[in-house]
Amino acid sequence: MTKEHPSQGKTVGVRQSPGKSFLLALPMMLLTLMMMSGGKIPADPQRLFVFAVTYLFFNLLFFLMIHTGKTDRYRATAFITYALLFIVSFISHMFEARGSMSLSEEKIILCEVPFCHLVIPMTLIPAALTKTIIFPGMITGGFASIASMFTIWIGASLSLGRGWCSWGCFFGGLDDAFSRILKKPLLRKIDPRWTYLPWAVLLAVVLTAAAFLSPTYCTWLCPFKTVTEFQAVTSFKILVQTIIFVSLFIALVIVLPLLTKRRTQCSLFCPFGAMQGLTNRINVFDVRIDPHICTNCKRCVKACPTLSVTEESVRAGRPLMSCMKCGTCVDVCPSGAAAFHVRGTPVEGNRNIKRLLFLYAAFLFLAIFSGGTIQDGLSRIIRLITTGSMI
Amino acid sequence: MKRARNIAGYAWAVACVVAVLATFIGNDYFSAKLASATGVTISPWYSGGEIVRSIDHGAYRTVIRRPVFDGLIGERKEGFIQIEWQPVTALPPVIEDGIDFTGDGKEDFAFRLDTIAGRGTLTPRNPSVIAVETLVKVNQGWVARIQLRKVS
Amino acid sequence: MQGFFLGLSSGAVCAAYCAPVLIPYLLGEGRSVLQNFSALLQFLMGRLLGYLSFAVFAWGIHTSLPQDIVHRNLLIGAAYVILSGLLIFYSFFKAGRACPSAGDQGIDHRLRESRSSLFLLSMGLATGLNLCPPFLLAVATAAEQASLLQSVLFFLTFFLGTSVFLIPAPFLGLLRGFSPLPVIGKMAAGLIGAYYLFIGATMLAGGFYR
Ligand code: SF4
Ligand code: SF4
Repeated sequence: MTKEHPSQGKTVGVRQSPGKSFLLALPMMLLTLMMMSGGKIPADPQRLFVFAVTYLFFNLLFFLMIHTGKTDRYRATAFITYALLFIVSFISHMFEARGSMSLSEEKIILCEVPFCHLVIPMTLIPAALTKTIIFPGMITGGFASIASMFTIWIGASLSLGRGWCSWGCFFGGLDDAFSRILKKPLLRKIDPRWTYLPWAVLLAVVLTAAAFLSPTYCTWLCPFKTVTEFQAVTSFKILVQTIIFVSLFIALVIVLPLLTKRRTQCSLFCPFGAMQGLTNRINVFDVRIDPHICTNCKRCVKACPTLSVTEESVRAGRPLMSCMKCGTCVDVCPSGAAAFHVRGTPVEGNRNIKRLLFLYAAFLFLAIFSGGTIQDGLSRIIRLITTGSMI
Repeated sequence: MKRARNIAGYAWAVACVVAVLATFIGNDYFSAKLASATGVTISPWYSGGEIVRSIDHGAYRTVIRRPVFDGLIGERKEGFIQIEWQPVTALPPVIEDGIDFTGDGKEDFAFRLDTIAGRGTLTPRNPSVIAVETLVKVNQGWVARIQLRKVS
Repeated sequence: MQGFFLGLSSGAVCAAYCAPVLIPYLLGEGRSVLQNFSALLQFLMGRLLGYLSFAVFAWGIHTSLPQDIVHRNLLIGAAYVILSGLLIFYSFFKAGRACPSAGDQGIDHRLRESRSSLFLLSMGLATGLNLCPPFLLAVATAAEQASLLQSVLFFLTFFLGTSVFLIPAPFLGLLRGFSPLPVIGKMAAGLIGAYYLFIGATMLAGGFYR
C-alpha cells in the first residue's frame, strides 16, 4: 500500500455543511435547554439575559465544532471560560458568606468547607478503613457536598475517563489558558521522566493522608487554593504552606505552561489527574492513531499539551494512559490518522459517528456542569459593572 | 464476533451520553443513596466526635464530646476532646467549668473562658491533658479543642 | 500502622537500593518464577530477622531517652532532620549504591556462585541491619513507641510495607524491561522526606523556643 499524503482538510475533513451541522447539533440544543433551564426559563430580565447568553455561547461552540470538524479550540473556549467564571463565582460566594477569601477556623470546625474532586484519592483509604471522610465538609446538602462531588466524579469517570481533565475540571482551564498564549514554546525539552511525578505526588499524598488522617495535598500543595480559598495565615506552619502553594501556582499554572505550551500542572503534578488516567482504561472513548494512514510526521507528539503522545505511542497506535481527550492531536493531524474512537469498533472508518458520540458525552458534561457557574459568574460581573459590587 | 463487538461498542458509547444526563439529573438521588449505602460520616478529627454529655447551666449549656484518638486502625497516642458552650447569646462574660471526661467522678481539667476577650485558660488535673489546641467562636457558641495525650 | 505506611512510602527506595543487588541474582540464569519466589522468601526472612533485632534496639533507645517532652522533641526532631535530609539526598543523587549488600562485590560474587540459602538469608539480614535512610527514619519513629511490643509491631508493619515493593521482583524475570516504579518511588520518597524534614525542623524549633 502506498502512503499518499492527503491534501489538507480534504480526506481528513469531517467538515459538515451548515444545514447538516445544525441538524446534528439540534439534540444538543434541546438537551442543554432542558438541563440548563431545569424546565423553566427565568422570568427576571437580567437572569434571562444571562441565561440566553450562556445558552447561545455553548450551542454556538458546539455548532462550530461540528461544522468545522475541529474540536480543541472550541472546547478550550468553553473550558477556559468555565475556569475563569468559576473563580469569579466562587470568590464572590466566599465574600458573600464570610467576607473574605480565607477559610476561617470557624468554617473548619463547623465542617462547612466546599469539597473538591482533588481530595478524592486521599479520602479512599481512610474511608475504606474507618468509614469516615477526612475532610471538614458536609456529606450531603449545602454547597459542594462530598457525596454530590463523588457522584459527579463517578459519572465523569464512567462516561469520559480522563476526559474529565479537559471537559469537566473547573481548574484545568487555567493552565490550559496559559499554555495557549505564546505561539511557539520557549522551552521545548521536557524530560519524559517528569510525567512520573504526578504518580509520585499521588503516592505521597495518599500515604501521608492515610497516616495522618488529613488531606495533605490540600493543606500543603494544592496550587489552586491561590484562586479559591485558603486558610488564614495564623501560624508559621500555615505560612510555609501558603508559600508552597502560591509558588506552585505561579510555577505550574502560569510560568511553565507559558514557556512550554504544555499543561504542566495537569500533566506533571496533579495527583487526581494521575489517578483519573486509570479510568481511561475502563472508558469507551479513546483516541487512536491509524497506523495505515499515519505518515509519522510527529505533529501530534509536538502538539499534545499533556505529553501523552510519544514516538513509541504513535507506533503503538494510541496515546498514553494520561490522554485527556482534548482533541489537539486529532485537530493537528494532517492525514486524519489520529481520531476519536469507540472501543470495540474498528479503528478505521466511521470517524464522524465516533467523534459525534464522544462530543455528545463530553460537551454535554461540560455544558451542564459549568452552565450554572458560568451564569452565576456572568451575573456577578454584570452586577459589578452596574452596582460596583459583586455580591 | 466482530459485529457484536462493534454493536456493543456503540451501545456503550450511547450509554455514556445517558450516564452524563443521569449524573446531573439524578445527582441528589445518587448522592443520598451513596451516603446512605456507604454509611460514611465526617471523620471525628474534623467533626469533633459525638456528643456524650451536656451540662445544663440554666441559660446556657456546656456540651462535651467524646475524646478523639481514632487512628486509621486502632487508636493514636495523641488526640483531643472538644467542648462547646451554647448558645452564644446567653453566655456570661466569664465561664468556669470543671470537666470530667473519663467519667471517674474526678475533674480532668478546669477551663476558664473569657467570652469578651476571647481567651481560654486551661488547668490540667490529669497528666493526659496537654494544652488548648483551638478556641473559636462560631455562630452557635464557643468551641474549644483540648489536646490530649495517652499516658502509658 | 504508621510503620506500614512509612514502609510503603520508603519501600520503593528500598527496592531501588536493593533491587540492583537482588534482581541480577534472582534473574541469575533464567530460573522459574517459583524458584525466584523461594529465593525472595529467604531474602525477606533475613530482612525480617534484621528488623526485629532492631526493634529491640529501638526500644532500648526509647527507654534511655529523657522522658520530658521538650528534650525528647529536640532529639527526635534532630533525628528527623538528619535522616529525612539523607532520604532526600539519596533519593535524588545516590540511588543504587547505598545498599550494603551491594557492598563487597568480590565476596558477593563467590557467594552468589554458591547460591546457598544461607547466603540469601545473610544478604537479607544485611539489608535488614542496613543503615539506609528510610530504615533510620523508621528507627527514629520507633523510638517514640512506648513498649517493646509496640516497637516490635512497628517494625513488623514497616517490614510488611517495604516488602510490598520487593514482591514483584520475581516477576521481573517476565518483564525485564524498564519499569517506572523506582523513579516514582524515589520521587515520592523525596516528597515524604521533605515533609519529615519540616516536621523535624519545627520540632527542633519548638524545642529551642520553649
Ligand atoms: S493525546 Fe491527543 S487528545 Fe489526548 S491529551 Fe494529547 S492531544 Fe489531547
Ligand atoms: S500527527 Fe501524529 S498521527 Fe497524525 S500523521 Fe502525524 S504522527 Fe501520525
